Amino acid sequence: MNQDVIVDARNIHKSYGDFEALKGVSLSVEKGEVLVILGPSGSGKSTFIRTLNGLEEFQKGEIVIDKVSLGSEKNLCAVRREVGMVFQSFNLFPHLTVMQNIALAPQKVRGLSRAEADKIAYELLDRVGIREQSHKYPAELSGGQQQRVAIARALAMQPKVMLFDEPTSALDPEMISEVLDVMKELAKSGMTMLVVTHEMGFAREVADRIVFFDSGQIVEIATPEKFFNNPTHERSKLFLSQILHR
Amino acid sequence: MTKSKEVVESTPAPKIHSSAWLLILLGGGAVGFYVLFLLLSFLLKLAPEPIGSRADLFIEGARTTLNLTLVSGVLGLLVGVLVGLAKLSKKIWLRYPADFFIWLLRGTPLLVQILFAYYALPMLVPSLRLEEFSACVIALALNVGAYNAEVIRAGIQAIHKGQTEASLSLGLTKFQTLRFVVLPQALLIVVPPLVNNIVALLKDSSLASAIGLLELTLAGNRISAETFLPVPVLTTVAIVYLSLTTSVTIFTHFLERRLK
Repeated sequence: MNQDVIVDARNIHKSYGDFEALKGVSLSVEKGEVLVILGPSGSGKSTFIRTLNGLEEFQKGEIVIDKVSLGSEKNLCAVRREVGMVFQSFNLFPHLTVMQNIALAPQKVRGLSRAEADKIAYELLDRVGIREQSHKYPAELSGGQQQRVAIARALAMQPKVMLFDEPTSALDPEMISEVLDVMKELAKSGMTMLVVTHEMGFAREVADRIVFFDSGQIVEIATPEKFFNNPTHERSKLFLSQILHR
Repeated sequence: MTKSKEVVESTPAPKIHSSAWLLILLGGGAVGFYVLFLLLSFLLKLAPEPIGSRADLFIEGARTTLNLTLVSGVLGLLVGVLVGLAKLSKKIWLRYPADFFIWLLRGTPLLVQILFAYYALPMLVPSLRLEEFSACVIALALNVGAYNAEVIRAGIQAIHKGQTEASLSLGLTKFQTLRFVVLPQALLIVVPPLVNNIVALLKDSSLASAIGLLELTLAGNRISAETFLPVPVLTTVAIVYLSLTTSVTIFTHFLERRLK
């Protein structure tokens, strides 16, 4: 096994009742890689990245994140500390200020003092470009700002892997680029990222590999250049023709 | 330079936490009730016959009613949180007893529960000899607790699942997620229905008269029987209840506004 593999999913099966959402998905990701996961809705791409930090249970297979297997409850917490997640609907804590949203986990999980946690929070707010909003509540921010806070909140735990579950799908068009810019900067800094998105420009520009999902399976894995210009699989071709000729 | 200045300026803003406000308000509320109680005592003593000369009995009754409500209310909140959480648990050995408890306490009359706590419980558990007040507190606390449990369960369920997911994916434990993310939001939602339950509790405490606990209703009933003047006496009883329930409601409106 390659030393640099940080996410390793082997033969993951998941079903809801009779419906099979994941039919044996295997994927390994190396440190510093940026993977963009594409596929039609309902193809299992969101379900898959949600299994990676234990938000979805799976019936068969194994997931190993940074040499820790996602088996027991104890391991689950350990893995979640190392894996950051950004959601489509931001999921900021509405009863806490921006600062408190970011500083909560470093204090409660890492055991940092409030001053230390605040320092990290300020640095991250600078990084995502909204330091001046630190004392506001989430409801007072725009969608783009909220999602940037959500990214900062996940980064505050200094994760080794970041998962993005359609981070721009709930945003107004004019706010998408501010979030993508933050994600691009993060990718350049060497963060390992798995991104479920419909932003083809981002996929082309930032991804090391494109992972194409269809009906609960990975159909094709390729470099962006290969995937967008010369996809191998019929279903990839169909998907691309549908989104590119909208 | 400007950086450090900003840090200094922007940190104090969120310092007064809503939990601190809650304590301040609860303290203020307690003082307010004491003042209200003194005012009521004063007015009752000034009232014309047959009230004025028997004001002490009224006041004693009202005090017992308030104590019953306060003690059972606090215990009932505790019961409600525990049972409400148990009802949401995935573990059936927690969920089923919680379901059973709620089913039992909401499906039987409070009067029967009070009578049971006072007369039957000491027979079942011989070492347990309860005086009237404690027996009533047990029955009232468990009863209001069952209603609170449903309110708290609903409040927790009303918090979007994404909140829990976000918290868990940051590495917080289930308990921390409940404590720092879900409960603070849920408690805000459940304040109005919980107050409803407290107001109901205050009125229902009149059933304690059935086992001879001298609270407001029994006091009124005795005076009314003794004087043969039910109209002024029971009217006074009603007015005292009204002033108590109204002030609880007003206090909570204030609390709600403040917490939001």
